[in-house]
Amino acid sequence: MTICRLLGLNDRKFDLFPRSRDKQISHTGGEVIKGSHRWRSEFTMKKLTLIVFLWLSLGASLTVVSAAGQAPAADRALTAGQLDFFEKKIRPVLTERCYKCHSAEAEKVKGGLLLDTRAGIRAGGDDGPAVVPGDLKASLLIEAIHSQDKDLSMPPEKAGGKLPDKIIEDFETWVKIGAPDPRDGSSKPVARSGIDIEKGRQFWSFRPVTDPPLPEVKGQDERWRASPVDRFVLAKLEEKGLTPAPPADRRTLLRRATFDLTGLPPTPEDAEAFLEDQAPNAFEKVIDRLLASPHYGEQWGRHWLDVVRYADTSGCNSDYPIPDAYRYRNYVIRSFNEDKPYDQFVCEQIAGDLLPARSDAERIDRIIATGYLAISRRYGSSEPEFHLTIEDTIDNVGKAILGLSVSCARCHDHKFDPILTRDYYALYGIFASTRYAFAGMEDFPHKKDFTALTTGPEAETLSAFQTELSGLDFEKFRLKQEQKALKRIAEAAAQIGQQASAAAGEPPAPKGTLEQVQAALKAVEERIKAMEQKPPAVEKAYTVSEGKAVNAQIQIKGDPQKPGGEVPRGFLQILGGQQLPPAATGSGRYELAQWLTDPSNPLTARVMVNRIWQHHFGKGIVASPNDFGARGQPPTHAGLLDSLTIRFIASGWSIKALHKLILLSSAYQMQNVANGEAARLDPNNELLWRFDGRRLSAEEIRDAMLATSDAMDRTMGGAHPFPPEMEFRYTQHKPFEAVYETERRSVYLMQQRRKKHPLLEVFDGADPKASTAARPISTTPIQALFLMNDPFVHEQARRFAGRLIAAHEQAGERIQMAYQLAFCRLPTGEEVRRGNEYLQSCEVALLQSGLPMDQAPPAAWASYARVLFSSNEFIFVD
Amino acid sequence: MVCGSPLLLPGILTHWLAGEARAGEDSSMSPKAPHFPARAKRVIFLYMTGGVSHMDSFDPKPRLVADHGKLVSADFYGVKSASATSWLRPLWDFQRGGKCGTEVSDLFPHVRACMDDICLIRSMTTDHSDHTQATLGLHTGSFSVARPSLGSWLSYGLGTFNQNLPSFVVLAPELPYTGNQVWSADFLPGVHQGTRVIPGAEPIPNLNRRALSAEVQELELGLLERFNLKHQEDRPTNPAFAARIKSFETAFGMQREMPDVLDLSKETDATLELYGLERGSTKGFAWQCLVARRMAERGVRFIELIDVGSEVGSNWDAHSDMRSHERLARNVDQPIAGLLKDLKSRGMLDETLVVWTTEFGRTPYADAPTGRGHHGRAFSSWLAGGGIQGGIVHGKTDDYGFDVAENKVHVHDFHATILHLLGLDHEKLTYRHAGRDFRLTDVSGNVIKDILA
Repeated sequence: MTICRLLGLNDRKFDLFPRSRDKQISHTGGEVIKGSHRWRSEFTMKKLTLIVFLWLSLGASLTVVSAAGQAPAADRALTAGQLDFFEKKIRPVLTERCYKCHSAEAEKVKGGLLLDTRAGIRAGGDDGPAVVPGDLKASLLIEAIHSQDKDLSMPPEKAGGKLPDKIIEDFETWVKIGAPDPRDGSSKPVARSGIDIEKGRQFWSFRPVTDPPLPEVKGQDERWRASPVDRFVLAKLEEKGLTPAPPADRRTLLRRATFDLTGLPPTPEDAEAFLEDQAPNAFEKVIDRLLASPHYGEQWGRHWLDVVRYADTSGCNSDYPIPDAYRYRNYVIRSFNEDKPYDQFVCEQIAGDLLPARSDAERIDRIIATGYLAISRRYGSSEPEFHLTIEDTIDNVGKAILGLSVSCARCHDHKFDPILTRDYYALYGIFASTRYAFAGMEDFPHKKDFTALTTGPEAETLSAFQTELSGLDFEKFRLKQEQKALKRIAEAAAQIGQQASAAAGEPPAPKGTLEQVQAALKAVEERIKAMEQKPPAVEKAYTVSEGKAVNAQIQIKGDPQKPGGEVPRGFLQILGGQQLPPAATGSGRYELAQWLTDPSNPLTARVMVNRIWQHHFGKGIVASPNDFGARGQPPTHAGLLDSLTIRFIASGWSIKALHKLILLSSAYQMQNVANGEAARLDPNNELLWRFDGRRLSAEEIRDAMLATSDAMDRTMGGAHPFPPEMEFRYTQHKPFEAVYETERRSVYLMQQRRKKHPLLEVFDGADPKASTAARPISTTPIQALFLMNDPFVHEQARRFAGRLIAAHEQAGERIQMAYQLAFCRLPTGEEVRRGNEYLQSCEVALLQSGLPMDQAPPAAWASYARVLFSSNEFIFVD
Repeated sequence: MVCGSPLLLPGILTHWLAGEARAGEDSSMSPKAPHFPARAKRVIFLYMTGGVSHMDSFDPKPRLVADHGKLVSADFYGVKSASATSWLRPLWDFQRGGKCGTEVSDLFPHVRACMDDICLIRSMTTDHSDHTQATLGLHTGSFSVARPSLGSWLSYGLGTFNQNLPSFVVLAPELPYTGNQVWSADFLPGVHQGTRVIPGAEPIPNLNRRALSAEVQELELGLLERFNLKHQEDRPTNPAFAARIKSFETAFGMQREMPDVLDLSKETDATLELYGLERGSTKGFAWQCLVARRMAERGVRFIELIDVGSEVGSNWDAHSDMRSHERLARNVDQPIAGLLKDLKSRGMLDETLVVWTTEFGRTPYADAPTGRGHHGRAFSSWLAGGGIQGGIVHGKTDDYGFDVAENKVHVHDFHATILHLLGLDHEKLTYRHAGRDFRLTDVSGNVIKDILA
């Protein structure tokens, strides 16, 4: 007893350790990361639990008695005695202390829980069954009346507080004898916590997508309003008595469309071709050309990567790099370039590993697609806190695909939208049944459960290697804990010797044990070292796969230590509430993919259509692209959104077809002009009386400089130059941190989860920690300093200058070329004259600063190029 | 006339001399009125990395001395992790300081002499005992995912007085745990991001002019302004155009003013001595403290000083040997006292809130034989200056310094109080992000009324 007490353990703690030692040790890293509960019960329960366990396993003669199992509930007709017990001991307490909030008469039923009928008490509330006959542990009511926790404890302080011990005992007895309860009658159905699903369906975004007739309009000519888009836009403008802006000139339109579709400036050749093309479909040809460019996928893939908070590191305390994450990034880019149907794109990302494939290449592609789930944020140094990773997954699936903030329901039913806590845990079960590849972290540096991109023996080699090595990490961690514990026990034993009063007769720590552990540790470390020398040369991807199928238990107030009722794996009630059959052996991801992309689901297509619109017009038809719920913004053009959605689905979920539909509208081709009257009536241009210009994104600014200077490496990016994976030993004291230079497009920059790339940070890049629906735009002096002094800007300006000098002899011609490259227009005579003046003054200033004669002219041109790069005309698109 | 355009200089100069924002009405950084009259105008936030032991510094525990070496009883507070170890006495003696007589250990003799200006909180508590989470929590109020930092919230709420300097400066020669997340603006506009300043050739990225000469840069900025004004003329009004033109002026001002702030050559010998700084040195906390005073004088709103970095063995994280506290305290003690005295003698302490804290305390029992473990349940912090009652102690811990016994101050309460002293209601200072209103204190936080002057 004494050592046990010394270590601060009591018998109850041993309940937490139901497994045999062998079984426990066999849990290698993979299983540990798979189930946070298991992990927690084994490791975070005060780490010293382990010590005693090891103490036992090492031969200490302590007897441990695990708690006796509870007798199963007897299910039989009520006897007079049982009835009497209920009427005398239970019913009065329920009536007096509970019914005020938990009965049909309650003014407001709390927690969706009714205790005034047998049916109600057994069904329970938001958190699960209140009473399970015969099972004290599963009966939340028993837990609540015992609890000291203010979140859980019942009755609450204002209802008189904790019940007397005698009454608590009565309730326990009552549950043990099977909770006899004569109160027939069905419980009045209550909407749990006041959420009314039927009423929720009336909200605009949950209503089915309809195909509204095109509105009748009077203004503009037939050609202007030929596109269905324009009928809707014009109708809204006419309601307010507004007229659309005149069409933009061709150069403006070309620059606008080229940046929108590819994130790059048009070349002077592009401009010339478009200006000279007299065909009526000249702009359509431009659109087709841009959509066919490989740069299209880089631009639109980046929009998707914003939404799914893509990063190349895990986000744990030491931000472990994931050298294979880029495969998912490239998959996204390829998918946009291939115009992969959006429903298929969603399905692949949720369940690509479970979908049939026609070829090996397709199979591999679909496995890589599940990188979407794998890139969910990771936490901790030695405790993966996996419930937070699942929360991040659910949060992202909700926002990215459904435009809903589902994760609010982790702790309570959603306050504004019809999303139940049960919905959250229905999804939770699906992801808890999914095995996420493990990226490594401080105490377990090696990766596990990555998928080999080949089949056959090589795949098995990789799997065996990962399993063994991460198992060794785990073993090493365990042995280190053991070593520390043994040292403590030895010290404690020494203390006991000195302090005879404390623990006479206690057996001292067995001699030799510490040495044994140290020897084992040394062996493990050597084995790890040996394995690290020979990692298998097999290509792999950061993915998910099927784990052990389990339903989740509700975590009361979002706390995984407070389990409530079990919820079958399934989908949101408001979107159909489909459930897996009880016997289902899969995680449910396959089904979830179908539920998400079912054409009758009113959200998935609408949300994506809105995103496409958003990135052409600067704001969505729904201005909150990640929130189609009650707290989001209503659509400015509801009919237009539905009409586009119907066409999107009919086109086979073709994103490129949708671009074309939008870009060919007159609305898209309007000029960015002032209109005082319109600005007064509609200051935010919600009705689209003109086209709004925009600032380039961080990536576009960098890419435009690289394109203008002609330094851009236009090949698709591959893996980042991380250090060799086997050398990763990052800790929270020394986390991973790096910036890798590249001349490829910015979408290929290495982006850490915990730290934005410096350039992306300066110019409002996406948040790598959470879904970015729309980037905020800031203007800061740090941006100005970047443009004035950053070596990257100076280098690109130098190259831009070199390009101009190489192409033309005459300063005037060079200035013309510079304007064409940077602004997609020709300079005015005045601008050429001023440019010339500038170059001369600058040369003089440079010579005065001591620059040799031959270097002054190119330096002056570079200075001129820096001014062009810094100018608003370069940074903004009309 | 393009060359030598003097467009920028006169403006910047007036602006600078006036110490007020010029043409700043549309700038989100112009000074804003607080929610109610404020006691303090700015904050100097002294952050000790790694977890300072409260029992060894500001929270004397005679019982710990008496019970030194005794085994920790197993049912101590029902906390099992306190077991199989023994109580560890502080290595330093405590003495009374100031007229108030507050006890402080010999680790901080200089600060001890200033206790009449300090309100010591001995009842701090935090939610997590890991560096990463506790550091994030202390700076952002969020313990798992980084959110906007305290300094960013203040910058957002109050703007700043000097448009030529960032509103939120972080003097951090080394990176703390979680790196720059500590001073991140996160979802707040980027202009509220803390700007890290390090001693050396380039104190902030891209601060140094890369153009060959000042004249060349002025030429460039002159031409740029022409380009931008022309661009603006041809287009519908867009506030971003004007803001961008102004941002180059500010950047130019920053290039000029930042080196001046960091130039300590005009400080007197007496001042340098007060801080314990050798002339010409940029080393140690003394340099940071003196630069902090100069930034405070020039209107920076929030100045954070981070003493050392996250490197193992370099900071207060004394798992193996408490004696490492001695070296770290010596680095900060005199400079901090010097800063307090200097501010006071210049009449600035009344309107400057000085905060001293760490991410958590340390265990009253041994981790290794002479070291202490992480301890989030209780630790000490202190406040001085604007709006604070000096010479008092708020809250206390139990006999061992294990748990808070009275007047618990959670990190959220600490934040609420700091905002309050700057005239901001922590429940009203919100920002809409991802569909909901966020605040520094999440859904908690109470202002500690007892310590307000």
